[in-house]
Amino acid sequence: MERTRNWKLPLAGVLAAYAATAWLLANRLPVKDGAIDWQASLFPGSWMAWSFPTALFFLSIFLFLALMAIWEYARPGGHPRVGILRFETTRGDRLFVSLLGSAFIHLAWLGLVGPGLWWALALSAVYAIGVFRFV
Amino acid sequence: MNKPWNNKAWFLVLPVLALVAFSAAIPLMTVVNYSVQDTFGGNQFFWAGTEWFEEILSSDRFWAAMGRNLVFSAIILAIEVPLGILIALNMPRRGWGVSVCLVLMALPLLIPWNVVGTIWQVFGRIDIGLLGRATWALGIDYNYVNDPFDAWITVIVMDVWHWTSLVVLLCYAGLVSIPDAYYQAARIDGASRWAVFRYIQLPKMKRVLTIAILLRFMDSFMIYTEPFVVTGGGPGNSTTFLSIDLVKMAIGQFDLGPAAAMSLIYFLIILLLSWVFYTVMTNYDAEK
Repeated sequence: MERTRNWKLPLAGVLAAYAATAWLLANRLPVKDGAIDWQASLFPGSWMAWSFPTALFFLSIFLFLALMAIWEYARPGGHPRVGILRFETTRGDRLFVSLLGSAFIHLAWLGLVGPGLWWALALSAVYAIGVFRFV
Repeated sequence: MNKPWNNKAWFLVLPVLALVAFSAAIPLMTVVNYSVQDTFGGNQFFWAGTEWFEEILSSDRFWAAMGRNLVFSAIILAIEVPLGILIALNMPRRGWGVSVCLVLMALPLLIPWNVVGTIWQVFGRIDIGLLGRATWALGIDYNYVNDPFDAWITVIVMDVWHWTSLVVLLCYAGLVSIPDAYYQAARIDGASRWAVFRYIQLPKMKRVLTIAILLRFMDSFMIYTEPFVVTGGGPGNSTTFLSIDLVKMAIGQFDLGPAAAMSLIYFLIILLLSWVFYTVMTNYDAEK
């Protein structure tokens, strides 16, 4: 009998850890004129110059990696297949292509359109869905 | 119990992950943090958002360095690949000449990059260098310190001298793996020298040539030490490639924010190239 793997508990754990870390980091931010200063330094005087947006960015990257690990735990094997790029890719390859492509989408948006990256983020999400569906 | 997968072996890579965290991940995170902030020293940082990225992406200086880098890569590939094939085709396949040729070809690859730069920096000097003195004696107005064209020639010839051997050795490895039966069949069919190259040798070298082209493109795109030692990026900015420009911005001007943004853009391009390289390699292995 094949062992069934309980992936829901690790998923809940990872999401809870993500939310808790984000909440803890947000709590470190100073309040300026009655509102949270989201762009302030998280650890003033530190050489690594952590800010909330960059911390959330890396936290999200770790979240993606943890979600991929849970996906692998739930369905081992990496789901290799040959898509529109005509060579075999696994889920990890597709995540890498999605993240790398998203970085270039954001850069192209900054260079061609200008600041304000919400539309670039939306475009990247559509691109990532396309990569996971067709590549 | 059916247990087709056991991923516990992944725990064995934890020491490597720890090393990579200290040598790559933490510096990369710091660069990302710097790229969205401004500093005047003293670990005091001020939020700048995407300003540095916009500045770099719209800067003529960045695109000029990128253009120079691409032109440089195109020129050295256009020279080193055909030259490497030509030398490999003419290298002996048996006898004592094989060892001699292989050692001679490997020598430039064994010399550290800064030493290569120093050799050519001295070699090209018009006061004491053999090349510089010889060209002047021949009546050629050569001076890589003042003339951008001469500086480019020097940097290109230096790279060709340093790295053509790599293409030669890779092509030679491809050529010696061709069984004699292929050549015998070609002789029976009365194939010309060109036909043997076009339909036997070139297809058999396809894999190693792809590796050579990708390796040389990536290497030349990241070139820093040799042109920095020879020309320092000059005269003017004529041989300032991306890596040299980046160091000037980060260390020379101490513009950490724009330099961090530039290095991230540079990093993404290199990452894309590395992925292409990795994909091509693994797909060749899969085909094999």
